[in-house]
Amino acid sequence: MSYMDKSLKEIHEALKSNEVTSEELIKESLAKSHEIEDKCNAFVTILDDAKNEVSSDDILAGIPFGVKDNYSTKGVLSTGSSNTLCDYVPFYTATAVENLKKRGAVMVNKTAMDEFGMGGTGTTAHTGIIKNPWDLRRTCAGSSSGSAAAVASGVYPYALGSDTGDSIRKPAAYCGIVGYKPTYGMISRYGLFAFASSLDHCGVLTRSVMDAAIVVDRMKGIDPNDMTSWDSKDIHLEEAVSKELMAKKICYIKELVNIDNYPNASEELKSHLENFQKTLEICKKMGLEVEEVSVDKTLLDALASVYVVISCAEATSNLSNMTGIIFGKRGSGDKWDEMMMDHRTKGFSPLIKRRFVIGSYVLQKENQERYFKNAQRVRRLLVDAWKNIYEKYDAVILPVGLGPAPMLDGKVEMIHQGTEALDEHLQIGNFGGFPSITIPNGFVNDLPVGVNITGNCYNDELVINLAAHLESMMDYKGQIAKEVEHE
Amino acid sequence: MSKFTKEMVEDYAEKLLIKLTDEENKMVLEEFDYIDDTINLINNIPNIDKVEPMTHALDDFECSLREDEAGESVPIEDLLSNADFTDGREIEVVKVVG
Repeated sequence: MSYMDKSLKEIHEALKSNEVTSEELIKESLAKSHEIEDKCNAFVTILDDAKNEVSSDDILAGIPFGVKDNYSTKGVLSTGSSNTLCDYVPFYTATAVENLKKRGAVMVNKTAMDEFGMGGTGTTAHTGIIKNPWDLRRTCAGSSSGSAAAVASGVYPYALGSDTGDSIRKPAAYCGIVGYKPTYGMISRYGLFAFASSLDHCGVLTRSVMDAAIVVDRMKGIDPNDMTSWDSKDIHLEEAVSKELMAKKICYIKELVNIDNYPNASEELKSHLENFQKTLEICKKMGLEVEEVSVDKTLLDALASVYVVISCAEATSNLSNMTGIIFGKRGSGDKWDEMMMDHRTKGFSPLIKRRFVIGSYVLQKENQERYFKNAQRVRRLLVDAWKNIYEKYDAVILPVGLGPAPMLDGKVEMIHQGTEALDEHLQIGNFGGFPSITIPNGFVNDLPVGVNITGNCYNDELVINLAAHLESMMDYKGQIAKEVEHE
Repeated sequence: MSKFTKEMVEDYAEKLLIKLTDEENKMVLEEFDYIDDTINLINNIPNIDKVEPMTHALDDFECSLREDEAGESVPIEDLLSNADFTDGREIEVVKVVG
């Protein structure tokens, strides 16, 4: 009998009725962790000595969970999947993790990711490439790749992720699970390694909308250690799941979804967009008004560069403390700058180094206006366009990515690859801090694909409620990855 | 002809205290060209210079100051535990001045 492939409520009931003990759940989760590590390379650390240390009646008590390796965890290796921090052990725990642990949740592993969250392929972790459990030849997307692979494989019911561009929501789609990032600041970022502070969100990957609601209800809250966090005590996500449908009118973006915009569309993209249309029909059956709206294509075409310019600039600044002096492996050299250069050159992957150079360039005084400030201006125009939409519609619904998970083809991730706005639009959720959730909505070539729902800031209850109603109309809730046959 | 050069990229990398291989340098140049082309799109948006740059995800963000109260201190041993070279209560570094 296995439990880690069940929902939080089912596992909690089994614990309450003494059908299973927490120790047995931990044992099952650890055994599964080792199995998935061998297959998918999903973890940086597996905590073989994990124990249930808190006595609590909370629904999360005694149940294992995973934590992305860019969350600080006291006494537990936290590398951000970077060689620069390959031996770093924090002396404090991130608030989001602490909020779960104090309710009795049991952390059993730290999940591998794209280095410091910068990347969307799961190929830049210092522990190697993270593989998709549905098809080991394919990417999980990133950067919360290990969390997605683990939850989809039934290692535990949930794992924490972080999302700066789409890092929770795209891996969720490629792995056939749920990925939710709430409104910016609802979950404290204290203890999350900063990548791009104005875009970074904490969140969770689960196998159902209900489980996402239950976990985020407990992760969230105002935190004196994060001045951007806010009081969300009046937001009750779990209750919102069970309410009558709160949304009335939703829309999708014509420029992103219309197949005529893609003259060279692959068969996978065609199937993905057809499948999305079926999801829209389901929405209509639920009683929702569904309309098509138009957004200035110039703004959508600029999306990828806006994200790159802002995120690289913020990352260059945030990660300037990686010197190897006060933490991290000390570099060699006779002078301080030689030591730092050795540490940074050997420690960072090529992708990150290139992003730093771009970030530094756009921040130079003579370049700021043309690149950095203009990117921030387009950020506002895009956010304003979405806020205008929210005056008339409760949410925007769109497909995630260009189809199922792409193959791991060994190509180096470059910023001009995959820059179709359809592949990048989730970044708007980060630009505006909007609550945004991805749920599975079907299969293309036997591989899972996802649909995303994004609402206006602070409307998390509506977004969760809508996602739960849509989920209940489809057959993909609680699914565990089944490796596809291929020639 | 690109306005970006190998030497420029080397200079920016040097300022960041990182070294790039020739191959990495070439990739940065390609990425610069792509970004520059897209920025040209942005510059053609009418009245773009009149738009207030958006620096934060929430426009209604309120910054309030905490009371100036002493919090818990972190033991010095914990703070030093991740440094490779320490001497008593201090982190050891090479001579920087003089």
